[in-house]
Amino acid sequence: MGCGTALRASEGGMNTIIIDQSDMGQGASGVNAGTLSMQIKRVKLMPYAIKGHDMWQKMGQEVDFHKTGGYTLAFNDREADLLHDRMTMKKEAGANISFVSPAILQEKEPSLAQKIVAASYCPDDGYANSSLTGQYYRKRITQLGINYMENTKITQINETSTGYEILSGENRIQTKRILFACGGWLKEAVSLIGEDIPVNARVNTVSVTERAPRLMNSVIGHATGLLTMKQKNNGTVLIGGGWQGIGKPSEGRGKVVMDSLIPNLQLAKFAAPKLAKVRIVRSWTGFEANVPDFYPLAGKLGKRDNAFILGCVRGGYTIGPYISSLMGDYILGKEPEMPLFDPSRKFEQGKLI
Amino acid sequence: MYDVIVIGAGPAGANAALTAEHYGLNVLLIDEGSDAGGQVWRVKSKSILSAPVTETSLKGDKLRQRVKSSEVDILFETRVWQIEQNEEHVWQLGLQGVCERSSVSGKALIIATGAQERVIPLNGWTLPGVYGLAGATALFKEHMILPGKNTVVAGSGPLVFFVASEIIRLGGTLSAVVTLNSRFEWLKAAAEMISKPGLLWQGVKWVFKLHIKGIPLHWQSALSSINGNEYVQDVDIIKTTKYGYLKRKLNVLVEADSVCLGHGLIPAIEATRLAGADHHYDETLGGWVPTIDQCGRTTVKYLYACGDNAGILGVQAAPYRGELSAIAAVEDLTGSTSETINHHNKALKSLGEEAAFGIAATALTIPKNGLIENIGKNVEVCRCEGITREEIEIELIKGSVSPNSIKSGTRCGMGPCGGRFCSESLAMITESITNQSREEIGLPTARPPLRPVSMDEISDELDYDELPIPGVSPL
Amino acid sequence: MSSENTDQIKRTEKISFTFDDQTVEAYDGETIAAALLRRGVIHLRNAPNSNTARGMFCGMGVCQECVVEVDGYKVEACRTKTSNGLIVKKVSYV
Ligand SMILES: Cc1cc2nc3c(=O)[nH]c(=O)nc-3n(C[C@H](O)[C@H](O)[C@H](O)COP(=O)(O)OP(=O)(O)OC[C@H]3O[C@@H](n4cnc5c(N)ncnc54)[C@H](O)[C@@H]3O)c2cc1C
Ligand code: FES
Repeated sequence: MGCGTALRASEGGMNTIIIDQSDMGQGASGVNAGTLSMQIKRVKLMPYAIKGHDMWQKMGQEVDFHKTGGYTLAFNDREADLLHDRMTMKKEAGANISFVSPAILQEKEPSLAQKIVAASYCPDDGYANSSLTGQYYRKRITQLGINYMENTKITQINETSTGYEILSGENRIQTKRILFACGGWLKEAVSLIGEDIPVNARVNTVSVTERAPRLMNSVIGHATGLLTMKQKNNGTVLIGGGWQGIGKPSEGRGKVVMDSLIPNLQLAKFAAPKLAKVRIVRSWTGFEANVPDFYPLAGKLGKRDNAFILGCVRGGYTIGPYISSLMGDYILGKEPEMPLFDPSRKFEQGKLI
Repeated sequence: MYDVIVIGAGPAGANAALTAEHYGLNVLLIDEGSDAGGQVWRVKSKSILSAPVTETSLKGDKLRQRVKSSEVDILFETRVWQIEQNEEHVWQLGLQGVCERSSVSGKALIIATGAQERVIPLNGWTLPGVYGLAGATALFKEHMILPGKNTVVAGSGPLVFFVASEIIRLGGTLSAVVTLNSRFEWLKAAAEMISKPGLLWQGVKWVFKLHIKGIPLHWQSALSSINGNEYVQDVDIIKTTKYGYLKRKLNVLVEADSVCLGHGLIPAIEATRLAGADHHYDETLGGWVPTIDQCGRTTVKYLYACGDNAGILGVQAAPYRGELSAIAAVEDLTGSTSETINHHNKALKSLGEEAAFGIAATALTIPKNGLIENIGKNVEVCRCEGITREEIEIELIKGSVSPNSIKSGTRCGMGPCGGRFCSESLAMITESITNQSREEIGLPTARPPLRPVSMDEISDELDYDELPIPGVSPL
Repeated sequence: MSSENTDQIKRTEKISFTFDDQTVEAYDGETIAAALLRRGVIHLRNAPNSNTARGMFCGMGVCQECVVEVDGYKVEACRTKTSNGLIVKKVSYV
């Protein structure tokens, strides 16, 4: 999202530099499961997700965008009720979601489990290949001639009369404005200028299989949100669902643990039984920023006029390109098309049902 | 829970397990092979009932006998796919294979996963009939079978001569033996290997055998291409400079139906990396190695590394390295005694004597700068995903400089082998374009599983109502 | 050639398995890849992207080049043992 904002700010005439401690787009945006699903988006964020989805669609082939349609599954009555309530609300919020009978689903996706009691469908759902996020942005940024520094960790930030001085090793950069778009590393980053925000990091697990015979054509989800699954054109199946690994952003890239990986894979196998014979070639984790109410952070940092923060919680991949363009406008001093999310709001504890 | 778990039952791991058991600890030894012995003392296939005894088969049998008659618990034909350490420092391993258990835990973990082969790509290296040198030794030792009817053996280091001599012993035909090393390099190595005259003499015998049989031996030469459509038909052999650059126009075409090719051994570090240990680059030890003290203690508590995966020192050094790491584990778990201290000192002294030989042999395989030229732009560097050198270079020029980033952009290293065969050459190509050191280039992030594992093997049938639902995502 | 039974090398009884349409004799307990190599069958699959021919390469379960299909599972031919009547197939990719 830092890259997206930089593009917008630079197009608006600002002299911009991007600094990343690692490679461009290798944070959450480069390791996530790439699901672009309306069905897993939160009701209040739906308008943003729809815009974000359009932007991914425009990036098209360069990010391996595919609109496959997506099914969300319920395996028992409790989940069916949950699915019904949630999807109805999302539909009202503007998502193109309908309910389908298990019989129709069986016809469209014959390799899925027999035990499905209810399902919903959204034709707009699909995926992009998150591995290509960095590649895409690096290209755009180079085209626009925006400066960037990779593998440069910011170690100190001094406030100056005109803005900020950013230090990293030998490097010193003077800037009028600063945007923190450090994902799971946000808390650590803003502490460099003495701010504290209630952000922690989720450690999401994703796995990929080797090439398998065609097992599914659409993006598959689960009523609880604990499974996302898609089979790419090359036959590999990506399995996610937000199961938590361990580790801290300050200590590497997190670790996969069997206690959460195994149930994640069991659920996938339950939904698509033929996966049983397919081999997993890699499981990994990525850090995602998390705040108590699970909404994005987008706006001014504390009481400062020239420091900003942009962090996205849950589903940030879909929304990312759009909310970063709003952020870019905001930094340019323009009124954003849709409201941002004040980082200084009072955070109510969001509910997990 | 075990006191000590040892992964890898080669000479290092098996001796580590036996040593830990000797000090009264409760030990588990795991290996994917069907018995102890590792690569070097590889156990014969069960389909071979009897065969002529050789020095290595004798040593292997002796080790297997010692393991069998010990109290060490064994899990053979079992692979470790995941390694975790909890907050109390207890190790938890995910297992796959014939064993009943899907996981096992232990207080100390000794990793002895040995070496894997470095094969620097060249045109035609993906053809059926091309084998790694180490892979070829597996054919001889395990199956007593030849790679083909007429074979070219090529590459660097001692394995070239060992493989050639084994092919002769098993009655095969050699079309040519091609070594990147010069006679001078061998002489230099020999001077450092003089502490082991027996082994040195062995080497001389190998070369002599080739001469007697009239087999063309090409010193300081390389294969520039392996030719054929579906199978190997012939190979081009070219003289190189001292630094491994091909001298054009001087190639010899030699017919062959098989090629054994390898450029030295490199430590198999996936397990120590997955376990979280720090690693550094040391070309004299074969490349990336876990950072260890002289007993094999890594930077992670209760994690030890011994054997070639901790730096290529060869089979002679391995048993002592195994003993040392077991003693370290014993001392860390139960405290030191005069016996452990004496044992430690003795093993350390023996290790010192043996290590020099291994280092001299490894020096012969340090990749020469010129080798990189031999990877043509259309050569598939990543065999799994079919990623060519050219595709990698384009990605580098576009601005990706780290292995993680190149992987993302090209899929190089994302296939089923997990980048185990391309990461060396990927780093060499990166080095040649960005001028970063190997240490600066680094390694891609270590991730499980250590080997591809089917969902069935990882996860039992799900009792749906038992699924630990950690809280549904927010609305 | 010494890869067969000789005076010096004694091997187990012969069994047979199939590789696609081919019936292959093997010594009981040897690996699929070794048995196929003995019969001169070394082209085990085609690579997914380049479609080039592949066979056993590392011989020790690392490179995944020798992968074949047994009972719907992908297995390493260099490490999987043969047995009488075993049905082995070439893998195919979508
Ligand atoms: C495993 C996983 C799966 C996911 N699946 C999905 C999905 O399927 N669909 C979906 O819509 N969303 C998904 N998400 C969420 C989505 O990926 C994120 O919300 C989004 O990418 C966040 O973007 P970001 O740019 O804010 O953060 P990031 O991509 O994490 O970028 C932050 C960057 O800041 C850099 N940085 C941090 N600190 C410093 C410092 N001190 N100095 C310099 N640089 C620094 C980091 O290196 C990093 O590159 C998933 C997230 C994860 C982790
Ligand atoms: S030959 Fe490499 S895995 Fe079998």
